[in-house]
Amino acid sequence: MPSELETAMESLIMVFHRYAGKEGRSGTLTRRELRILMENELSGFLKSQKDPTFVDRIMKDLDANGDGEVDFEEFVSLVLGLSIACEACYRVDLRKSQSWNL
Amino acid sequence: MEGAIKTVVMQYLSSARGKENLGGKNFQKLVQSQLGNILSDTESSSAVKEMMRGLDDNQDGKVSFQEYMTLVGYLATSLSEQKASGQEDKH
Repeated sequence: MPSELETAMESLIMVFHRYAGKEGRSGTLTRRELRILMENELSGFLKSQKDPTFVDRIMKDLDANGDGEVDFEEFVSLVLGLSIACEACYRVDLRKSQSWNL
Repeated sequence: MEGAIKTVVMQYLSSARGKENLGGKNFQKLVQSQLGNILSDTESSSAVKEMMRGLDDNQDGKVSFQEYMTLVGYLATSLSEQKASGQEDKH
């Protein structure tokens, strides 16, 4: 029986590989695949973005080895950035509610 | 994906119980309850202490959220590579 955290990690891996296999190399995301992934899977987050070049900027930031595609390790940086933003928001909420019985 | 990120964050926050960092005992509980299928040795307190020491970049004896995410990212990358090589075996 996988735990909640293990299930979440599995889900992130499955999302990456679901979008990564269509064009370019099979284990990486092209710019187009990344855009489609973000539009489908991060729609709540993108709604708060006003910048139309946001996805391109994310792509440039994530592509650490400069090959024009995003591999899973580079994708993890996106997850890390979003998780840090998410943690900051939840910490504020928790402080307001003053309840630690999650 | 948004739900998965929320889960990753909430597991840390519920283990930290309002503090900025995870102490040794809470980190051990988190590893045992949430990573028992991925990691061997989660029942060994010395192995978990060794893992915590390896994660603890600033050597303050605690695990910060950033350090926790390093562990999650490392494990997810390892799992992803296992799946990729598994698919190669099938071809």
